[in-house]
Amino acid sequence: MEKVGPTSTAAAASGLPPSRPVRWSLVRKVTLALVTILLCTLLVSGFFAYYKFESVYSSLVQSRYSFVVFTIKKRVEDNLNLGLALRQLRQVQDVLEREKTRDPQVIAVEVFDARGEVLFDTDRGAIGSKVPQDLIEAIRGGSSQAFGTTDEDNLIVGLPLVNNLGKVEGGVVLRYPAVYVNHGVTGLLLHLLKTGAEELAVFSALAALGLYVLFGGVGRKLTGMEHTLNAVMASGGSALPGGDGFETHFAEFVAKSREAVEHIRDATEEVGRLDRLQ
Amino acid sequence: MTLDHTRPLFIRLLLLAFIVLVPPVGLLAHGALGEFARGLVPEMDKKAETVGRDLASSIERAIGYGIPLDKLQGMDEFFAPVLAANREIRYLAVTDRDNRILFINGAMPELLTPYFSVTDFEGGGSRKSLIGDFVNLAQPLMSKGVVVGHVQVGLDQDYVQSRLMEIAVDIGVMTLCSLLVSVEILLFIVTFNVIGPIRAVSTVMDRVRRGDFGYTCGVISDDEVGRFVHGFNGAIRHVDGLFRRLEAYMDEIKTAHFDKTVVGRVMDIEARVRFLFRFSRTGQPEVINEHQATDIRLPLFLFVFAEEMSRSFMPLFIRDLYTPSTGLDQEMAIALPIAVFMFFIAAVSPSAAMISARKGSRRVFLIGLLPATVGFFMSGLADNVFDLTLWRSLTAIGYALVTMACQSYIAQAAQRESRAQGLGVYVGAVLTASICGTGIGGVLAERVGYRATFVLAAALSVVAGLLIYRLMDAAQPKAEPLSPRKREFLALLRNWRFFALVTFAAIPSKIALTGFFFFLVPLTLLQTPGYDLGDIARIMMMYPISVVLLSPLAARLADKMGWKAGLVAVGGLIGGFGLLLPVLSGDFNVLGVSIALLGVSHGLSASPQLAIIPDICWTECRNMGQTNVLAFLRLAERVGSVIGPFLAAAFIPIYGISGAVIALGAVVLGMSVVFALLSFAYGSGPHIEAELAE
Repeated sequence: MEKVGPTSTAAAASGLPPSRPVRWSLVRKVTLALVTILLCTLLVSGFFAYYKFESVYSSLVQSRYSFVVFTIKKRVEDNLNLGLALRQLRQVQDVLEREKTRDPQVIAVEVFDARGEVLFDTDRGAIGSKVPQDLIEAIRGGSSQAFGTTDEDNLIVGLPLVNNLGKVEGGVVLRYPAVYVNHGVTGLLLHLLKTGAEELAVFSALAALGLYVLFGGVGRKLTGMEHTLNAVMASGGSALPGGDGFETHFAEFVAKSREAVEHIRDATEEVGRLDRLQ
Repeated sequence: MTLDHTRPLFIRLLLLAFIVLVPPVGLLAHGALGEFARGLVPEMDKKAETVGRDLASSIERAIGYGIPLDKLQGMDEFFAPVLAANREIRYLAVTDRDNRILFINGAMPELLTPYFSVTDFEGGGSRKSLIGDFVNLAQPLMSKGVVVGHVQVGLDQDYVQSRLMEIAVDIGVMTLCSLLVSVEILLFIVTFNVIGPIRAVSTVMDRVRRGDFGYTCGVISDDEVGRFVHGFNGAIRHVDGLFRRLEAYMDEIKTAHFDKTVVGRVMDIEARVRFLFRFSRTGQPEVINEHQATDIRLPLFLFVFAEEMSRSFMPLFIRDLYTPSTGLDQEMAIALPIAVFMFFIAAVSPSAAMISARKGSRRVFLIGLLPATVGFFMSGLADNVFDLTLWRSLTAIGYALVTMACQSYIAQAAQRESRAQGLGVYVGAVLTASICGTGIGGVLAERVGYRATFVLAAALSVVAGLLIYRLMDAAQPKAEPLSPRKREFLALLRNWRFFALVTFAAIPSKIALTGFFFFLVPLTLLQTPGYDLGDIARIMMMYPISVVLLSPLAARLADKMGWKAGLVAVGGLIGGFGLLLPVLSGDFNVLGVSIALLGVSHGLSASPQLAIIPDICWTECRNMGQTNVLAFLRLAERVGSVIGPFLAAAFIPIYGISGAVIALGAVVLGMSVVFALLSFAYGSGPHIEAELAE
């Protein structure tokens, strides 16, 4: 929008109120919204990626240890099926200790009877102690599916020991450190945090730049139109119609406003002159 | 960019949003998947080694008893439970010293023999090698210190790929939802800050161009638009101020001047000014606020999003709450809260529409949010099925009030434009919220639990309320008077075409929606091995996506071809056929296709169902108003919404969950066939001719 005729940027001279300062420009508003959406998207995507990985990874680790427990269970049950009592299976202690030495991550493997008394344990000092009630509950159904639970900083995987009459004789559980799973997924977490922060910075800058290009034009156009309005109202002239219907109508608005101001001033002067004639 | 056509600005903004959101998520996902593969592969190797070592240990024990390796018995039975319990292990085999396969389970020997015959497994310890699509881990079998063969453990290379694909799909869903949410938010920001104010300025500018200085714009934002409007209004107030001073001066002369000639001249001047320009009679310019249908879109989106978050897990949540002491069968107990929710929406909606017209949409929206938010929150704390039913009823009352308030606002704001565009705003917000809410709700529930998801829904509902409270002004567009009478509504049912449309098209479509989609789909999908809540949610997203894609096309087809009854019939048949698809294909894994076909069905038939009303109810629309006839159609079809869950629940004890899907499909297809046959009589019947002749 161009202004033709005498120009003035002082709104006061036109009788119009002074310009209101722009506290939150359009670019800033939309940038804030878009960057917030980007941040939320990255956070949520990262959150889901991390937890999905954590879930798959921990279930894989658990299934590995389930297999170890399953093997021990088979060996113990083979002996139970020969009619031996669980308490009498002395060789089980060797089996447990062999499994522990094979994998340094295994904290303990223990076999307990149906009442929860530990009969064999890689930590021999724990033999004779009682296992927590939740482990006794977990073996009660005699399910062939391994169960998983936690104990302070350890993860536990276990299976019930069932004789060939279907009676639950006890259970076997293996403890491994929760930190082992955490360590396995930490790499991904750090990667997500680092990549997420970098991408947030780069794409926020891109958003700001893109929005400046998109909305800067709107702001400049409106500011130009406002200056034209002030100038025309202050010292006359006219606004040239711009490239679109809105600007054409604005030019007509400016012209009409100016016309009204001049007409009312003329009328006021005429009324004053008539008043003064007496 | 031109200020009177802001569509290009919005399109460029969406393009920018796409550029800003999709590549970073893609890069993040790419990096995460790489890390995932790096972390997962060693763990899988460890597992294969553990399995191989334990199997080798058992076999070595047997060899140690003097049984030759090739004479071992029951190896199939030995391998089978190991393979069954470990999905990532594809085969187990035992090879002799010459790498000939002695025993194998899980793969054909011909597939592996060529590889084994040329591979050297010697060297002590386990050996890893790639064989076709498998990662093979060979564990030596020792007897008296000599290698007598190997246990071969074959891991599926695709296992890692499929886990990676699951994560990629999760992130893809998140990105799609984020894009849709960003479209809603950006649309709101651009409408609220640019399009709305510019439209208001245009309205006032048009008046000023005709000499009317009686109005200013009610825009008070602190951005460039707000500053421009401030100056724009300032110019109008300046002219108004000059006129007020002149008017006061002329009034003084008219009342106090002794010379009647002067008074006459001044009156002439006043008449001239008033002829050329118009000013407000109230002493100062009146404020114009431009109301648009899109004003309410974001709050509506957030509210429906909150409700849809529980879509994928509602039956599962109810099942968890169920105890036999409730005195209901489990199926009926699951159906109860869903059906009661639908009943309350149906019962409250007509009153909600009237209250909204009387009290104003803003107030009714805020009133409706109160029971809805309490309902969401308390649903998360429900102890039993009856508790949940109570809180879901409260949510339904809120839902009816809020959605009716939105429809009323949109209808009033869109009067000057077109109702169809206004309806598009409503449907668009609801469907987009349905896609995002279902997808994100399911994945969230999987991570944080059902109860926490309800609490998040309550929080979203509060955000919707805050948006309405802070951003929508108290002055609302005027409502059109409502004049529905029950007798007139019942008379509608005597119109056989309308009756057939309601009974054999609208109701079965809702039966399929609530009975199949809301009730049976989560229960059926959870029975499928390997499916978790996130998967259920993603599959359920197929429905709103299909509707979104097909609705505009169907609306255009209905307008252009005039084949409205036909589209409704085809839609119904597709929906019924979709439900029967699992029995026709013999595979319940095609349930996703059934859901997509239900979306296609509703996408095809929803718009034509409305569009056909002026044709088949010509007289009734003229007497009662088209809006009221449409409202009655919507009310009547909700009978199907209430029946659906109960019908599905009644089928489960007889046919089982999968059989209930088929039975429900048979009911829907049967009713749709009746409508399809009747639809042939729609276009040529005497009813329309009689009406037209009136």
